[in-house]
Amino acid sequence: MTFSFTMSPSDLLLLLPEIVLTFWLCLILIVDFSFPRLPNEQLAYFSIAGLVATLGCLVWFDVAGITGTLFANMFALDRMALFFKMFIVGSTILVILASVDYIHRFKFFRGEYYFLVVMSALGMMFMASANDLLSVFVTLEFSTLGFYVLVAYLREDMGSNEAGIKFFILGIFAAALLAYGISLVYGETGKLVFSDMKTAQASPGLAIGFLLIFAALGFKIGSVPFHSWIPDTYHGSPTPVTAFLSIAPKGAAFAILLRMFLVSLATFRPIWTLLLVAASILSMTYGNIVAIAQKNMKRLLAYSGIAQVGNVLIGLATGTKMGSDAMLFYLVAYLFANLGAFAIVIAVSEAIGSEEIDDYSGLGRRSPFLAFSMLIFLLSLAGVPPLAGFIGKLYIFVAAIKEGLYVLIAVGLINIVISMYYYLIVVKKMYISEPHDRSPLKVSGPIKVVVYVCLAGTLAIGIYPQPVTDWVVSAIMMFSDVADPTAALPAPPAVIPFGG
Amino acid sequence: MLEELASTFPILTCILFLPVIGAVVLWLFDDEDMVRTSALTVALMELALSVFVLLRFIPESAAMQFSEHVPWIPALGVSYHLAVDGISVLFVGLTAFLAVLIIIYSWDTVRHQVKLYMMALLALETTTMGVFLSIDLILFFVFWELMLIPSYFLIKLWGGGAERHYAALKFVLYTLLGSVFMLVGIALLDINYHQWAMLRHMEPTYSFDLLQLLSVPIPFNQQVIIFWLLFLGFAFKAPVFPFHTWLPDALLEGPIGMAVVLAGLKLGTFGFIRFSIPLLPDASKSQTVVAVTMALGLAAILYGAIMALIQQDFRRLLAFSSISHLGFVVIGLFALNYQGLQGSLLTMINLGFSTAGLFFIAGFLYSRQQSTQLSSFGGMAKQTPLLASFFLFIGLASIGLPGTNGFVGEFLILLGTFKANWLYGGIAVTGVIFGAAYFLWYYERSMLGPLGKAVKESMSDLHPREILIAAALSVMILWIGLYPAPFLKMMNGSVQALVDRLEGGTVASAESKQPIRVD
Repeated sequence: MTFSFTMSPSDLLLLLPEIVLTFWLCLILIVDFSFPRLPNEQLAYFSIAGLVATLGCLVWFDVAGITGTLFANMFALDRMALFFKMFIVGSTILVILASVDYIHRFKFFRGEYYFLVVMSALGMMFMASANDLLSVFVTLEFSTLGFYVLVAYLREDMGSNEAGIKFFILGIFAAALLAYGISLVYGETGKLVFSDMKTAQASPGLAIGFLLIFAALGFKIGSVPFHSWIPDTYHGSPTPVTAFLSIAPKGAAFAILLRMFLVSLATFRPIWTLLLVAASILSMTYGNIVAIAQKNMKRLLAYSGIAQVGNVLIGLATGTKMGSDAMLFYLVAYLFANLGAFAIVIAVSEAIGSEEIDDYSGLGRRSPFLAFSMLIFLLSLAGVPPLAGFIGKLYIFVAAIKEGLYVLIAVGLINIVISMYYYLIVVKKMYISEPHDRSPLKVSGPIKVVVYVCLAGTLAIGIYPQPVTDWVVSAIMMFSDVADPTAALPAPPAVIPFGG
Repeated sequence: MLEELASTFPILTCILFLPVIGAVVLWLFDDEDMVRTSALTVALMELALSVFVLLRFIPESAAMQFSEHVPWIPALGVSYHLAVDGISVLFVGLTAFLAVLIIIYSWDTVRHQVKLYMMALLALETTTMGVFLSIDLILFFVFWELMLIPSYFLIKLWGGGAERHYAALKFVLYTLLGSVFMLVGIALLDINYHQWAMLRHMEPTYSFDLLQLLSVPIPFNQQVIIFWLLFLGFAFKAPVFPFHTWLPDALLEGPIGMAVVLAGLKLGTFGFIRFSIPLLPDASKSQTVVAVTMALGLAAILYGAIMALIQQDFRRLLAFSSISHLGFVVIGLFALNYQGLQGSLLTMINLGFSTAGLFFIAGFLYSRQQSTQLSSFGGMAKQTPLLASFFLFIGLASIGLPGTNGFVGEFLILLGTFKANWLYGGIAVTGVIFGAAYFLWYYERSMLGPLGKAVKESMSDLHPREILIAAALSVMILWIGLYPAPFLKMMNGSVQALVDRLEGGTVASAESKQPIRVD
């Protein structure tokens, strides 16, 4: 295999969003070191400016329909990659906004915090485009590098340090599995690019190889049984980092999973459907049942996140275009509800210094705005209509019923009822329980912006989901054109009237 | 029932959203009296709109009237489709009517967080209207689920009992459990439609619209599966015995206003007649389904009545009598003939006057004695003659005395049931006797005889607001009892269409005996 590194300006164009962000990353460092007295907020807004510029590029690409592949198919820029890049950049912007107040808790290296966040975002943007196993490994490690540091950013806090160590050791372990899996797959097939592997014959080596890769990606998305790092890491990390960790890497990893299962392994669909069904059932059930017992808000959201990943996996398990559309839709709904909930956790923790569910007592009286927003986010996570989460669940379930995955649906539905129970516990605390302290809570500007954006997203997508459904349908459609997994997608003409 | 009459003015949208907009407006007021007055104004406007719809409604027609249709989520085939027909139009009026009475009742009985209470009540009115007005199944489901949120807060924040937290949670989780199964049933209907539409190149390829779903055949086996899935959803909500355990708790612990809605508006059985029976006629008339539903209905009649006999608490008694009455509705529905369906539909409306009326009576008793236990009553007819008279009158309507509305409904149901199967009819008749027994016995012990120990000498009789509520209900009871023709005329067309559909089955369902897969 030969790699050609000759690049034309049009090739560079495909990399434009990444180039813009890399350039900005350097600027952030330079500004931080050159003006040590610069207030932290300024640096935050400076980073956001770069991310907004990147988002602008991505939107332009999406509208203009600029797609293509680079480096002998290692880097694919299709509509699906664009979707996930926007998803990642958007969540990074919200996370940085939510960090503005939190950052005073860091004693040192406040400027580098933004650098690391943006760097991780850059890594994940590459992940969304990774189209062969080598670039999967490189980009995945690149994005995780920033997180290893971010998780342990509260240096004085034992919990944060513990979270850092746990995340690091398990992360390295997952990386080793990934490397081993890649070497096995390469040994069996002699191929690295996803779309070249379609013709691969089944063999034990290939199966073990892909299982190992799935384990590494399962670690990233936090699905059972690869979830063990999640509760402690989420609990110990600085809350904005937890919020970031709970959404962006999952999006990036799902991009890779989609490529891997729908493109490379399309012919083995009956086999991996079983694998994904099992992972999905385990994640939903384990996450929801353990969440009931939680006393800490971050841990509750951690377990609810495990369960939500189980829901997304339903979409992947269908292995159809409709299921993939539904996954993307669900992720968008989850982005708003989850980041919104974490923003409120940050706001409450800034005001009263606690993240225990018990301290949310009487939030409805102390801050009607925060309590109402939290109510909306939790109900969206639980899937109550007409919020975004409901449409997402409906979409996924319709896709799964179409494929006849009845057991999975039954488990998913029972899980909705279970999840409602613990979300209602929080609602009860906020609205029914007497507050320990009646003083009203102050909410800072940037957090308010995050909450408003998430609130608007959750409500708007729920009430008028058509733009988002059109978007996800077209994202997966273009992906199927570029990567050509027609084998996995039944009856292409059947899906064309979708968006219209 | 496939015919549609579009309206030039979106009056149903106004009916649907007026209360919730009213609730938002209430947020602006701080003065409690202002809040009460505005809430009442909104409810009265809503009632006026509903009465307008009732007056303009064309009776003896099976058409969907005042129809409004806008696409909502085209990718999944969900649309915003509202309409009323003979099945739903009376419920719209009933909901608006009860909402006004509840607000009048709550005028001085709800003392804390009045604003929130009224807002929750109005929000509940919107969601209930949504359930009755939606023709699209997902839209229906949205309102069905949304109902839980105001209900949860109403039971939890304004409930009187010590166990209200438990009751609220139980109510939400039970209903949710049922509705998730229902959602699967709805999705299966959509998939079935999709497969049919792909074969015939019909547009749209996905649809949750009742009218479009009615136009495609559904294989029998699938009908049965979907029937039971929908059945779970409706049965939990109704509640049909044995899914009823949340009802006594919710009715006892929740506020009177919530109890009136839960006991007066029979959403679950409405679901059967609106969706299950027309969409799945072959399954509905299959032997197993008829046998099981009839058995559950008869069991509910007897179980509810016997349980009601031994209750000491009036609200619990009403809860069980409600379960018993629902049994009648269920056997009327699954008699699957004209009289049975008509009687069930009328009985559902009747319960909105009689059972809900008895809950208001329970509220009047509660505000005098701070309890609805039998031990706190006794011989009250002497102190409170008006209360006792209305109590007796509404109670007699609830047990179906000739001349009241209850008689017309129950008579039609029994007629239909006897026509379908004399054995079922025979068992159901005993329920009527039990019904009279539990009510009259309780009435005798609480109102007649010597003065109870807990009853104060100086107990006040009904005050004007309470008289207004009781009188309004009594007028409706007498009207339907003595001259039911206008009400029956409104439903006749749709009921006849339903009977025809039951005879015909789904279109050409013989053609598609084996399930069709597209991919």
